[in-house]
Amino acid sequence: MAPRLPAGCWRQLPIRPAPSATTTTATTAATTAATTTPSHHARLFTTTPTAAVKYGWSTLPARARPHRFNQVTSGLPAPSTGPAAALKRKEHSTPVRAGVLATKKGMTVFMGRTGARIACTVLQLDRVQTVLNKTRRTHGYWAVQVGMGARQAGNVTAPLLGYYEAKGIAPKEVLAEFRVRDERGLLPVGVQLLPDWFHVGQRVDVRSNSRGQGFAGGMKRHGFSGQEASHGNSLNHRTIGSAGPSQGSGSRVLPGKKMPGRMGNERVTVQNLPVLLVDNELGIVVVKGCVAGPKGTVVKVQDAVKKDPPADEFIEKTKNMLKERFPEAEAHLQAARERHMELKEARRNRTIEDIMSQGVKVSEEHADAIEDIIAATAKEDAADRVRA
Amino acid sequence: MNAAPLARRPLGCLKASLRQARQHRMFARCMATDADADADADADADPGLPTQQLPPPEHDFFRITDRKTKTLRTAFAVYPPTTIAGTPSIAAAPKNVLGSLHALQIAKMDPTGARTALFAKTRDAAKPGDVLMVTHRRGGEPFAGVVLSIRRRGIDTAVLLRNHLGKVGVEMWFKVYNKNVAGVEIVKRRAKRARRARLTYLRKPKHDMGSVEDLVHAWKKSRKVFSSGKGGAGAAGAKGKGGKAAVAGRKK
Repeated sequence: MAPRLPAGCWRQLPIRPAPSATTTTATTAATTAATTTPSHHARLFTTTPTAAVKYGWSTLPARARPHRFNQVTSGLPAPSTGPAAALKRKEHSTPVRAGVLATKKGMTVFMGRTGARIACTVLQLDRVQTVLNKTRRTHGYWAVQVGMGARQAGNVTAPLLGYYEAKGIAPKEVLAEFRVRDERGLLPVGVQLLPDWFHVGQRVDVRSNSRGQGFAGGMKRHGFSGQEASHGNSLNHRTIGSAGPSQGSGSRVLPGKKMPGRMGNERVTVQNLPVLLVDNELGIVVVKGCVAGPKGTVVKVQDAVKKDPPADEFIEKTKNMLKERFPEAEAHLQAARERHMELKEARRNRTIEDIMSQGVKVSEEHADAIEDIIAATAKEDAADRVRA
Repeated sequence: MNAAPLARRPLGCLKASLRQARQHRMFARCMATDADADADADADADPGLPTQQLPPPEHDFFRITDRKTKTLRTAFAVYPPTTIAGTPSIAAAPKNVLGSLHALQIAKMDPTGARTALFAKTRDAAKPGDVLMVTHRRGGEPFAGVVLSIRRRGIDTAVLLRNHLGKVGVEMWFKVYNKNVAGVEIVKRRAKRARRARLTYLRKPKHDMGSVEDLVHAWKKSRKVFSSGKGGAGAAGAKGKGGKAAVAGRKK
């Protein structure tokens, strides 16, 4: 049964029964009159806006009315939860640029000209390459995947081999992701990041896994004070003692109680380390102070979150350097992708052996270019010999 | 279906359909602009790309064989690590990077190589058991003492000297390449080479050398004798070259 109309609504209607009728009968009478008497049809389709929604014309209770209550278009502010809001919230704590992967090589000192002696850590970048750009649309956030080192193909699983094949890069030892603020932080795929990605004096955050200490007791792991050496103590000098109150408090151990267990080998971030030295030839970034983990540990180095990002000019400069050093990056990636699709199809059809027997086709232009380079180097060698 | 609302709201259905149409139009507009934007971006992204298919980049194949039948199961293209994004690049990063860094820094801090020679592992260098005198740029008095150990750590190389000041044993570490260490001079060589790298036993009363004051005094005196001909600029060896025994580590 249709709900009752509020009196204010039906009174607006042009088709109105006798004023003496009660409210309930008036509603039914109005409908029957509208459908049956043809003389009122002309008045039914009147253009006077007396019976619009804004005048309270509704058959449903106000709460159940289907309006787009949770949309930005209905005049509400943008929601404060959800993926978009989360990204917005974390914007100020997300670096503008991607970072690099490095290996901790050890600690040494940096002797200043005025007698200052600064303890520092040497981080080495070994063939650091960008591997993938993650976008808001596809992945839900902005990030750059970066790889470091080299791995033998035999030590890489088949799915990853396909992944690297599609990127046109050699298998990497480590892969890691660096969140960036927005699409301006994305980088061309496959380019190498060198130490001059950072500049001397800038601050960086360095993340790495600390040295594993194994299973450690409460004294070492949480700094508990242990128990007495004497006064009747027996064999409990380093134990943790009570784990909590007794029956009155539930006779249970509260979640998160500090106890003996595995210590170390957890991720540690050291923030705001100044960069002291950057050397492309050695492939090193020297940062002031210490970095968690033993020598050889893999560290992630990125612009400091709690400091201003590097100057816009510097960011531009580093991006331009990538373009200058690797002008072929995009074309190479495209060619690799095409080759990957071809090989993938061949693998599916089990015709990979035929393609392997064909080898890599080299176009005539390509061959000419290679011959030119060989000729040029031969000429240089000859000139050198003459000089010698 | 309930027909009553329709009858009460004769234009309701029209309104609903209009609203739908409007929404659909907006949606369609979105899609259209999106597709166009993508097309533009593509066109902008690779204007230099030739239209014909590029030659496949150079790569090797990695074969995965079946364990039982030993036949080829599948193969993947593996790109050489020496080429990065189609451009030849440096190979692996150098191994002994800490050593190279030390060499760089030492060349900067000790251009003459005098300090390096003084604490090298050679015959003429200073050794544990020798008596050295270090002039510090900030602390007024030069510190003299017997070398207990030499800690060789590249640029962070340091030497530990022990002396007695007022019957109290005093030990001090000096960073050899630090700018604050203005000069290092050998006061007296040990008669016979010590057979330990670290002479910690010199801290024991039985072996303690005590103060080296008299040794330093004698050495200064002899230097005064040697340098008297040049105008007596010998006090504490501030400027002149020492005798043969005193290899100057001074750079200023």
